[in-house]
Amino acid sequence: MRQSKLLPRILSVAVFILLEIASLYLLSRNSEVQHSFLSRGSHAVMGAVWGRTQAIKEYFSLAGRNRDLAQENFELQRRLLRAQEQLRMARIDTASTAGRDGFSVQWAEVVRSSRNKQHNYFILNRGYEDGIQEKSGVITPDGVVGMIEGVSARHSFAYSFQNADISISARLGTEGGTGILVWDGKSRRGALLKEIPLQYKYDPGDTVYTSGHSLLFPPDIPLGVAGDARMVNGTTNEIKVTLFQDFSAVRYVSVVHNNAFDEIQEFQQ
Amino acid sequence: MKKSSFWLIYLLLVIAQLILGNYACFTPYVLVTLLPVMVLCIPLQMGTVGAMLVAFVTGLAVDFLTEAVPGLNALALVPVAFSRRWVVGLVFGGELFARKEDFSVRRNGLGKVLTACALSTALFLVVYVWADAAGTRPFLFNLARFGASLPVNLLLSLLVLEYLAPDSRK
Repeated sequence: MRQSKLLPRILSVAVFILLEIASLYLLSRNSEVQHSFLSRGSHAVMGAVWGRTQAIKEYFSLAGRNRDLAQENFELQRRLLRAQEQLRMARIDTASTAGRDGFSVQWAEVVRSSRNKQHNYFILNRGYEDGIQEKSGVITPDGVVGMIEGVSARHSFAYSFQNADISISARLGTEGGTGILVWDGKSRRGALLKEIPLQYKYDPGDTVYTSGHSLLFPPDIPLGVAGDARMVNGTTNEIKVTLFQDFSAVRYVSVVHNNAFDEIQEFQQ
Repeated sequence: MKKSSFWLIYLLLVIAQLILGNYACFTPYVLVTLLPVMVLCIPLQMGTVGAMLVAFVTGLAVDFLTEAVPGLNALALVPVAFSRRWVVGLVFGGELFARKEDFSVRRNGLGKVLTACALSTALFLVVYVWADAAGTRPFLFNLARFGASLPVNLLLSLLVLEYLAPDSRK
C-alpha cells in the first residue's frame, strides 16, 4: 500500500524537476539577464557542492594522509637523530667515539594496545623481517612511548611507558640533573621524575628530556614539562611531570635501535 | 461540469490571459495573471503529473504568445500544479479526494476557496517575480510587486472561479 503511494510521488517529483529544468533552460537561452543570473546561481550551487564533495573526499582520505605524514615524520626524525649524533661527535674527541654507530630507525604502526591496565603494551605491525630488533625504543615526535620486548616475523610486542615495570633515564632541562622517569600509574599524561639530587635547581615548566644514559633511547628527546616537586628521604627530589605524549592517540611510531647495544651489553657483563 | 466544457473554458481563459499579458501592462508593480487559479481549478481526478504537464504547456504557450521571456510563466506555473493537491488537502481537507469531487465556492465557502487561490497565486508570484528580476532589481521592489499583484489577482480569481469551478446545483 505504502509502495503504491510512493511510486507516483517519486514520479511527480521527477517530472517536476524535469519540467523546471526545461523552463530554466528556456529562460536561460532566451534572456541574457536571466542567463547570467542563473549562471551565477548554478556556479554558487556547484561551488558549494564541490566544496562539500571535496571535504568528504578529504575526510575519507585522512587515513592515507596520516600514513604519509607518519612516514614523513619518521624520515625527519631519522635525519634529526643523525644530525644530533653528528653534533655530539663534533663536540667531543673523535678518537674516543670511533666505532659508535648511533641509532637505526624503523617506522611502524600500532595495531593493538592497552591503556587501562597497570602493565600496558603495544603490538606493532612490523617484525624482524622489517628490521625490528628486541631491546629497541619506541618513540614519537611527542616523546617516548615504550620499548620492544618481543619480535615475530611481522609483528613486535612493546611494553608501553604506561607500565609499572618501565622506567627511563631522563634529564631535567638541557644541563640539569638526571633521574628516573616512571609513569605515575594513574593519569594519561602523568609521570614522576625520581632521584634528582637536591643540588640541581629547576623551575616548574622546565622541559624534561631523555638523558641518553639509557641504551634504548637517543638523548634529548623532549618528554614533558616539570611540575611540583617533593623531597624524598631528605636526599633527592621527586618531580611531577606532565608528558607531551597523549597515549590514547598513539598510532604511528618510530622504533629506534642502538647499533652498539650488544657491544655495550657485553662490556657490562 | 463536463470535461469538454472545462477544457473549452480553460482554452478561452488562456486566450484572455494572452490579451491581458499583451495589453494590460499598466504598471511594473502589478502583474496580472489568471494562470495560477486556472491550474488550481484543474479537476482533481487528473493526477499531479498530468496537471504539471498542462501547466507547463499553458505557461509555454503564454510565454511564446506574449512579450514574456520564454520559460518564465512555465517556470512559475509548474510549482503551482505540483503543490495543487497539497494546497487543496490543506485548505479543504481530504474529503474532496475521498468523494472524488472538485471544490466550489458554494460547497466549500468563499473564504476557503480564496485561501487556496491566495496560496497558489502567492507561490506563482514568488517564483515569477524572483525569476523575472534575476537579481537586477532591489528586494523592496520585488516585495512591492508581489504585494500589489496578489490582491489584484485574487480579485481576478473570482472571475476564473465563476467559470472553472461553478457549483453543479446552480
